[in-house]
Amino acid sequence: MDPDVLQHVRRAVGVLAHVVDGVVEKIEPNHWNPNNYSNISTDFFNGYTEELGALEGGVICPKGNAAISQLYDPDRIQKPLKRTNPDKSSGADPQWEEISWDQALDEIAEKLQVLRDAKEAHKLLWISEDHSFTHIQQDFCELYGTPNYSNHSNICDVARKASFKAVMGDERPLADFLQSKYILLFGWNPTSAIKWVYLPRIITRAVEAGARLVVVDPYMSDTAAKAHEWVSIRPATDGALALAMAHVIVRDELYNKKFVDRWSVGFDEYADYLADKTPEWAEEITSVPAVTIERLALELATNQPALVDTWSGPGQHSNSVQGGRAIVLLNALVGTFDQPGGMMIPTKKGNSHVHLSEPADAEETLSEPRFDELDKYGLGHSSGVYAQTMINLAEGKGPYQPKMMMCVFQNLVMSIPGRSTVEKALAELETLVVIDTMLSETAMLADYVLPGTTYLERYDLNTHWVTWPVLGLRQPVVKPLFGQPAEYEVVAALGRRLGLKDGDGVESFLVGAVSGEPVEDLTAWYEEMLSAELLAGEPKISLDELKALPGAVWIGESGTAYEKYAGEVSAEKLATAWYDGAPDEEGSAIYDKPKEEGGARIGTVLYGKPLRGFYTSSGKVEFMSAGLADKTGYDGTSIDPLPVYAPRNWQPDSDYPLYLINWKEANHTHTRTQNNAWLLEIKPDNPLVIHPDTADRLGIENNDEVVVESPYGAVEARAKVSKRMHPEVVGLQHGFGHTALGEQAKGRGTADGELRPTIADALSGQSLHKETCVKVRRK
Amino acid sequence: MTSDGDHSLLEARASETSAALALDDAAPRVELSRRQLIDHLAKVGAGALATALLAGGAIEAAAAATRTGTGSAPSTKNKYRYGMVIDTRRCVGCRACVVACKAENKTPPGVYYTVVLEEGLMEQPDDRPLFMTKPCFHCEHPPCTDVCPVSATFKREQDGIVVVDYDRCIGCRYCIVACPYGARYFDFGDDYPAVAEDTPWAGVPSPELGQYRERGNDKSPIGNVRKCTFCLHLQDEDGRYDKDAGRWPACAKTCTGHAIHFGDFNDRGSEVSRLLRERQVIRLKEDLGTEPNVYYML
Repeated sequence: MDPDVLQHVRRAVGVLAHVVDGVVEKIEPNHWNPNNYSNISTDFFNGYTEELGALEGGVICPKGNAAISQLYDPDRIQKPLKRTNPDKSSGADPQWEEISWDQALDEIAEKLQVLRDAKEAHKLLWISEDHSFTHIQQDFCELYGTPNYSNHSNICDVARKASFKAVMGDERPLADFLQSKYILLFGWNPTSAIKWVYLPRIITRAVEAGARLVVVDPYMSDTAAKAHEWVSIRPATDGALALAMAHVIVRDELYNKKFVDRWSVGFDEYADYLADKTPEWAEEITSVPAVTIERLALELATNQPALVDTWSGPGQHSNSVQGGRAIVLLNALVGTFDQPGGMMIPTKKGNSHVHLSEPADAEETLSEPRFDELDKYGLGHSSGVYAQTMINLAEGKGPYQPKMMMCVFQNLVMSIPGRSTVEKALAELETLVVIDTMLSETAMLADYVLPGTTYLERYDLNTHWVTWPVLGLRQPVVKPLFGQPAEYEVVAALGRRLGLKDGDGVESFLVGAVSGEPVEDLTAWYEEMLSAELLAGEPKISLDELKALPGAVWIGESGTAYEKYAGEVSAEKLATAWYDGAPDEEGSAIYDKPKEEGGARIGTVLYGKPLRGFYTSSGKVEFMSAGLADKTGYDGTSIDPLPVYAPRNWQPDSDYPLYLINWKEANHTHTRTQNNAWLLEIKPDNPLVIHPDTADRLGIENNDEVVVESPYGAVEARAKVSKRMHPEVVGLQHGFGHTALGEQAKGRGTADGELRPTIADALSGQSLHKETCVKVRRK
Repeated sequence: MTSDGDHSLLEARASETSAALALDDAAPRVELSRRQLIDHLAKVGAGALATALLAGGAIEAAAAATRTGTGSAPSTKNKYRYGMVIDTRRCVGCRACVVACKAENKTPPGVYYTVVLEEGLMEQPDDRPLFMTKPCFHCEHPPCTDVCPVSATFKREQDGIVVVDYDRCIGCRYCIVACPYGARYFDFGDDYPAVAEDTPWAGVPSPELGQYRERGNDKSPIGNVRKCTFCLHLQDEDGRYDKDAGRWPACAKTCTGHAIHFGDFNDRGSEVSRLLRERQVIRLKEDLGTEPNVYYML
């Protein structure tokens, strides 16, 4: 019985696996992992014992329970595959040839070598998952010499990240639902999307303890179904609703004056901007009655502590960042950032990426611009801009034309808007290598496909998902089923074949990070890398010591800390700190080392003291972010320092009168699990949900086959008539409509990606999965 | 009923397990006795598995009682009354319970020992659903057992759990019709791809009823009616569950909202008894007089 942390569900969930005779027979909750229980330490430790773990026991979501079905999926890729058909058009048979691992790695390494020898290392694009073995992939890119490492976040929540970062300096605060008395969610479905598996528990407990739960969403999500109130809203107008609520709170002077005075900047300009953002103004835009807006504002301001959180609902449109800022700022008005029951600043101390020194022979290509033009996205994220990558590839634009892509567990064809553009883009590459467990739509366009592993077959470290330092271990409970190397071993094997060395001449993919000696065995080499990260990070223990902890989880003793922004930076940190400005000057930002050397923000000089503050340019929460005025979006337009409401770019018209939205539920992960037979039992397809009035007008009845059309394409769907949908909107769960992946997944449900163009938000680079207008008719 | 054949199957399973006990390939592979295996599993925390193996004998006793038609071992009548109190306010409709049950009991496609209802009990102006997990209610007066022409399905007198004796069931499905709650399913012999296509998982027997039956060749329970057993294979020799040791019905153990409370209504100190005393609960279709042992908090 080995502790593990769930990964295929892309959520951090602790599990224990019963392994009998080399077969995983059952997966059980890991009661020692806070990710299964609570994001607040006092709640986790209330009744915790080393022997039994959390008092009420951990839990697992459906995907965790179905991991066995993922592991033993008969459609898994078992051997490396090489394409023999040069035709890479959509639907073409790749005419796979099974090849040995040695041949596959040799041939891929040779192609990489040719590129590198020609001083074209930057023409390698590397695209990966965002929480699994990313450090080794980043190391590879650095030593190889490509600046083009990107990962998943930019098709997920980077607009949200940009909104929070602009307002309060942290890109992913965590909601302390449990201690909250008023929970207002904009377009987030936490009890069903279950980003973290503790969410259903802490949200339902908060409601039991008297919290009021209100969900704003065009669709009555399963979370909205659990709420006291569902506020049905027109898509992409959430920012206007938030501004009108702020208008009421400021008008009636119900905001937290103490917090606003001491810990914010730009309030006056914000208040001026709000002056005409009345509930009546917002009613017109949002379709939410003004009287409801008035009431919600009063409720929010007078039920404390209150929190306001948002996710992909408002976060995947062209006006997402500013709308998100307007939403996030409601927390500033009630002053609950980092307070019990508010949006918490997580203490991120886990394993530490031990950065390798850059080798001289990689410098030249590393200094080439990124192919995705990330620097043009004023509020872009280090995860890159997949959509821009695809547009540039497909249209021959960008600073140069890349030749090769390594794509690790990303199904780009299904998960970037605009399928035809993505397929065209990938066909432009000379060599596409895909690592995956399944023959995804993206793998079907590859030149080489390498069989990947599930999380039950490999290592990973998992951290940062609760408010205090916690680190869980994923470890292989069975050997990779088909004798394949784990993904990190593939990376290291390629690095060895290329003889990559760091700046000190060390063959980093051969020499153990702890022993400093060559370690031939790839698994043992990686175990040293993990140990080095644990020793350099907060746990300061080896991998073996982590394995020996209850549930293989390291839990920081400090626990959840509140109001961290008011604390002083420790003398120890100050001793080696670097100031961006004079150390005694009000507002000077403090870094742990010079900014040019990649220093991390640790505080700001405020009120004559070196305080932690907020990691914004002012060190305070910013109602107006003056610094934004210096930044521009991809299209060159400047970014408004105020959280202004502007309608999104694509609006319904007489030809395409309906908004199309999508969402996630507990039963599937992205486009990855639709071949999982157990999960298909609980969610076999994704009907198009349509309001009865709209359906009546279009002559559509429940279960009718319908055609959904946009200017970019048409797809078929099954109609589900329900009042859970806003009358101007239709929507479906994301992830279905596969043309590959496996026998179960093919032809099941509807994919909506082909109904929209390949497009990213101009500010953050966020893929716009929800900015689509359609018409619907009976088939 | 555990025939001699089935019993040897259990033994075979246990010895297979011991042969593979070396969880870490670096460790020496040691042949262990079943007793040693159980001790080892208990030590490493795999209490559920250890006890499941231990429980083989107890199930056999229960099955022997079935054979005689008395339905219980004489000394254990009404020793326990197992049931659930399900808090619908905590149920978020995720269906982790449905999948955990499938993983625990290895049920085939179309056979569910629990489901989650989503459509509301009452008309709602906005089609708001009420999520409700619904296992077998193990009624005090189960209409399903009375109609069985061969007494294959019965309520265990020692703990009130309604079971099906697969070796006796003739697959007539009267009980499916008689159950007012739709808690019974017929096993048509379908398999999930991981079983049908003979992956390593295909050989894993269901621990259901402590019988460890291997699936295939039209053997029972194919062609039989199947239903929730409250995961009774996780009981110890005395018929007790142990939440701390992980010997707890799979649905209750995994529930993301901790909505499923399980326990013994005969034990006044149990959580379910306390909830029954202190909280407002309902049972479905009370008017039928079935007296379900599963209650709901709304």
